[in-house]
Amino acid sequence: MCGAHATVRGLLGELVTRSALDAQDLVVDMEAGLEHLSRGTGRHVSRFIAVLEPYYRSMETVRRIGDLARELGIADMQVVTNKIRNADDRTVIREYCLAHRLEIIGEIPYDPILLDAERAARPPLDHAPAAPAIIALRELAFRLTTPAA
Amino acid sequence: MSDSPTPASLPSPSPQDGAPSTTAAGIGSLRLAIAGKGGSGKTTIAGTLARLLAQQGRRVLAVDADTNPNLSATLGVPAQQATQITSLPRSLMERQTQPDGSVKPVFVGDALRVVEDYGVSAPDGVRLLVMGAVGHGGAG
Repeated sequence: MCGAHATVRGLLGELVTRSALDAQDLVVDMEAGLEHLSRGTGRHVSRFIAVLEPYYRSMETVRRIGDLARELGIADMQVVTNKIRNADDRTVIREYCLAHRLEIIGEIPYDPILLDAERAARPPLDHAPAAPAIIALRELAFRLTTPAA
Repeated sequence: MSDSPTPASLPSPSPQDGAPSTTAAGIGSLRLAIAGKGGSGKTTIAGTLARLLAQQGRRVLAVDADTNPNLSATLGVPAQQATQITSLPRSLMERQTQPDGSVKPVFVGDALRVVEDYGVSAPDGVRLLVMGAVGHGGAG
């Protein structure tokens, strides 16, 4: 178990470093827990993004991930909020992020069509390319590749 | 953009490659780590972002580092194709003493070779590497 984690961390760290050298984008779907988070992986990550849902346990988890990232000296964590249903969700999550110095770089609306995609075992991008959540992700992808003005 | 089945995963930058790995606007390699609770939608976001970046003409490697891997489904890779790395050859591993005195196998190989050997093609030209629970491999 420990050995496996060490190996994955080592390989991940190498991949992140090599991607920087080779001008290739890397998107890592991290483990739900925090085990992979280490200097090896984090040091060369250009953006460390946590997905935040508008309910307390999700927000607390993300805050802990952010604290650990800071401790490890990893790039400042940024937040993409997800499954935002209404103005109340938006307010709650924005206030939380403000209070805990979490920067929101994207907001994805709650979108039941993503559940349809899951049920149909199809990639959301193919299942519903014009769905509101996909449009929000498209905007995020664009912002990520556009230098700040 | 169509699925490109090219096996040329992660070559060292070659002149004829031609992929706009660095955009005119000057954003170089984007290295995103996406974290969150299980069920938060992080995998949907990671997979969809990977393909959207690739649709911009960028070379993208998607890595599933979750111990419950399902990034392949979000990308559109049939599950049976997205084989996990469960072991790596002994030569890529070295037993090293950790600061706490324990001895652990550490990855000392060429990461790009691992992608070539274990990566699979996903739609829009994305390459996918599923880490699985990488163990000791042949080492023992």
